[in-house]
Amino acid sequence: MTIVARWILMLITALFLGGCAMVQPGATPTPPSGNTAVLTLLDKAQSQSADGRLDEAEASLERALRIEPRNPVVWQELARVRLEQGRYRQAENLAAKSNMLAGTDRYLQAENWRIIGEARNRRGDPQGAQAAFEKAEQSP
Amino acid sequence: MAKWPSKGRKKRRIVRTKTFFIVMLVGVLMMAAYVAYLDFTVRDRFEGKRFALPARVYARPLELYPGLRLRATELLAELSLLGYRETTRPTAPGSYHWSDQVVELVTRPFAFGNGRQESMALRVLFDGGGVQALVQQADSTPLDLVRLDPAMIGGIYPGQNEDRVLVGLNDVPRQVVDALIAVEDNRYYSHHGIDPRGIARAVYTIARGGRIQGGSTLTQQLVKNFYLTADRTIRRKLTEMVMAGLLEIHYSKEEILETYLNEVYLGQDGNRAIHGFGLACSFFFDKSLEQISLSETALLVGLLKGPAYYNPRRHPKRALERRNLVLAKMAEGGFITKNQQLEARTAPLGIIDRPPRGTSPYPAFLDLVLRQLRRDYREEDLRSEGLRIITTLDPRVQGMAEKSLAGQLSLLEKSRGGMAAGLQGALVVTSVHDAEVQAVVGDRNPRYKGFDRALDALRPVGSLIKPVVYLTALQRPQQYTLATLLDDSPLVLKQAGTGDWAPQNYDKESHGLVPLRTALVNSYNLSTVHLGLALGVDPVMDNLHRLGVDRELPAFAASLLGANALSPIEVTQVYQTIAAGGFRTPLKAIREVLTADGEPLQRYSLEVEQVVDPTSLYLLTVALQDVVREGTARGLAARLPAELQVAGKTGTTDEFRDSWFAGFTGDRLAVVWVGRDDDQPTGLTGASGAMAVWGAMMAGLDPEPLILPEADGIERVWIDPVSGLLSDSGCPDAVELPFAAGSAPTESAACGPRSVGKSIKNWFERLFK
Repeated sequence: MTIVARWILMLITALFLGGCAMVQPGATPTPPSGNTAVLTLLDKAQSQSADGRLDEAEASLERALRIEPRNPVVWQELARVRLEQGRYRQAENLAAKSNMLAGTDRYLQAENWRIIGEARNRRGDPQGAQAAFEKAEQSP
Repeated sequence: MAKWPSKGRKKRRIVRTKTFFIVMLVGVLMMAAYVAYLDFTVRDRFEGKRFALPARVYARPLELYPGLRLRATELLAELSLLGYRETTRPTAPGSYHWSDQVVELVTRPFAFGNGRQESMALRVLFDGGGVQALVQQADSTPLDLVRLDPAMIGGIYPGQNEDRVLVGLNDVPRQVVDALIAVEDNRYYSHHGIDPRGIARAVYTIARGGRIQGGSTLTQQLVKNFYLTADRTIRRKLTEMVMAGLLEIHYSKEEILETYLNEVYLGQDGNRAIHGFGLACSFFFDKSLEQISLSETALLVGLLKGPAYYNPRRHPKRALERRNLVLAKMAEGGFITKNQQLEARTAPLGIIDRPPRGTSPYPAFLDLVLRQLRRDYREEDLRSEGLRIITTLDPRVQGMAEKSLAGQLSLLEKSRGGMAAGLQGALVVTSVHDAEVQAVVGDRNPRYKGFDRALDALRPVGSLIKPVVYLTALQRPQQYTLATLLDDSPLVLKQAGTGDWAPQNYDKESHGLVPLRTALVNSYNLSTVHLGLALGVDPVMDNLHRLGVDRELPAFAASLLGANALSPIEVTQVYQTIAAGGFRTPLKAIREVLTADGEPLQRYSLEVEQVVDPTSLYLLTVALQDVVREGTARGLAARLPAELQVAGKTGTTDEFRDSWFAGFTGDRLAVVWVGRDDDQPTGLTGASGAMAVWGAMMAGLDPEPLILPEADGIERVWIDPVSGLLSDSGCPDAVELPFAAGSAPTESAACGPRSVGKSIKNWFERLFK
């Protein structure tokens, strides 16, 4: 599933669950970008990542960041790639950066905390991971 | 005995014959050895020239996409830098056509680390804001993203070729080769290094008493260029001919031609010889060879006959006549049409007055690239493997940075005279979130390849250190908030070994008790020293290192006012971390390194490390925005609209020796230093010197506003600035300030929500509702 499709699906789910008129501001996932170039690059990164071409996915995401440096979704995707690359500290830091830029988007923040938890788990810090997962629970 | 003589004669004859054969044999062997020696020499020389492929350094490729804030004129500037040609109907890669708000272009293919970008024909449509749409030329299919090939900005050359602009035959315009063939060697593709007809003509000329001239094939000329001396003996001539023949056996015509184009002597610049068409092009026209016009081609090729005699700077008339002769020969040979000839004849010589020094237009940036490369590569690989280095340089930003520094320094000198003479400066621009270095200027004459102030000038940073002091305080929210009152009274510090230190405020006044925010916004020295001493100098210096200074620095009380010297690039690293929200990313000048064939070798991936908690950094940034809104940098309002909400800090050192400004918008960070090389006072403050440069540059770059993402754990509270206590939106002079959650004052000022006066007022309001 492409990342754009994933976001659209999440949006639809949110609309269903919340009832169209009842959606709380800040509770709805917005599309990852209003810029078609960024969407294209996010999609490209997604498929490169799925093929295991992580270096190329990384390069695509960095291109997207040059266009939208303050887009927390792009930072989050980069964190995911780092997680796959086994660069756990970087994954944590990038997810933290995404968190900083996410403002009040609780969905994004929860996902970032899950990435941080996963990264901590994999580098052998179960306690830190637990704390991150708890944050993820509090966020949405 | 009678036999003896005859025998003797016979013997003598045999001996003579034997001797003759031996001499012959030795002669042949010696000849063979000599030829073998020549063969070895000439091949050695040739290989030495050919196979040392310098690393080529490229600017960032320009990415085009709908919504990009780029004007048509800015795209055209990029295309001109890339050497794209304007034509009425662009079909060949590297050509374009511009009409009003539409640019049609055909891109060149280029191998990037993550795949090759093929040549593409497209139309770029502009509207008022920038790129409105991209469509394929053929069927108007919309395109999301197109990457142009990057501009080459320099090379890393092997020692002997230090000063070369090496070109590959594929990058040489056809007309250059045509002109060479037409004028110097019109049977080049059919002879074997030596042209008997040419020689016959030369012999005839000499026989008639003329000078030895002409008759040399391009191959012979190349061989001649391998030697430093230019003596014209018959022996040298013969040696040349043998060597030319040998070269032709070993190498193809293309290989020989390419080496010729890079080797041949075309002029002199003091003690610097101008070898090769690439360098000559930059020396005479300040262009790359790909951009050269027909008339310029003819001029360069004309120079071959006598670079000194036809020197266009010294003898423009001779050069012009020679150029027109070359054009005539090209037309005669059918290489150009009569019309092209006539048109090129009317063109001016087009020689630039002062040749650029060095081979890169951006020596200061290249310096940074080279230093980063040397950490990862061996010097000889950089100079011989033909690596391709894709950097982060943005020519548009670099151009604006150069122009602003040179322009503002001249203005300052003119308007102030006296002390402000002999100013120098340096400037670094980065992109805020990924720390890519977009521009480096190390001299007010940006093409001067000398002392690179951006990297190497170590100067006291003055008040640029203050944000680090205040950040250290804000990281202790239970003790310090933006509203905390600081002591701005005079103090004298007695230190063992040195004289007493009595810092002063810029206005020589003491301001009593001042809110922390105000002290930073107005850059008060006394309150900063009081604060820093309370915090401890070491924690402040630790923070400075955490933010990005790797070097050891002495820590003393004067460090709190910026007595430590840093280079502009070091200051940039520190402010980078602040601008990026407390995430440290090493400044990056290189994106990737590719092999000569375009295969990825190394990527310099984006690395971030959170080194400051987001809450205290948010508070600091808000205060730095206030510096521009109402403090020492409020003069920026004359150049940049308030909506941009720029954050920045001025810096001035003792007796006005150094003028600094560091600031950032939503998309870029820039650090500027202005001062004199001899460290003499300039009379400039951070605001009157460096900030003028900063403002002029940013105004030309269409910056994005600095909108801080709402930070977790921040609350906004109205404060009475005099007492630092709680106030209310309706109260006189009250300011709304951000606080780390739970750190805001609870006690109310006279007009605050819990004050007696407020209660009475509320009581009255309720009464009259």
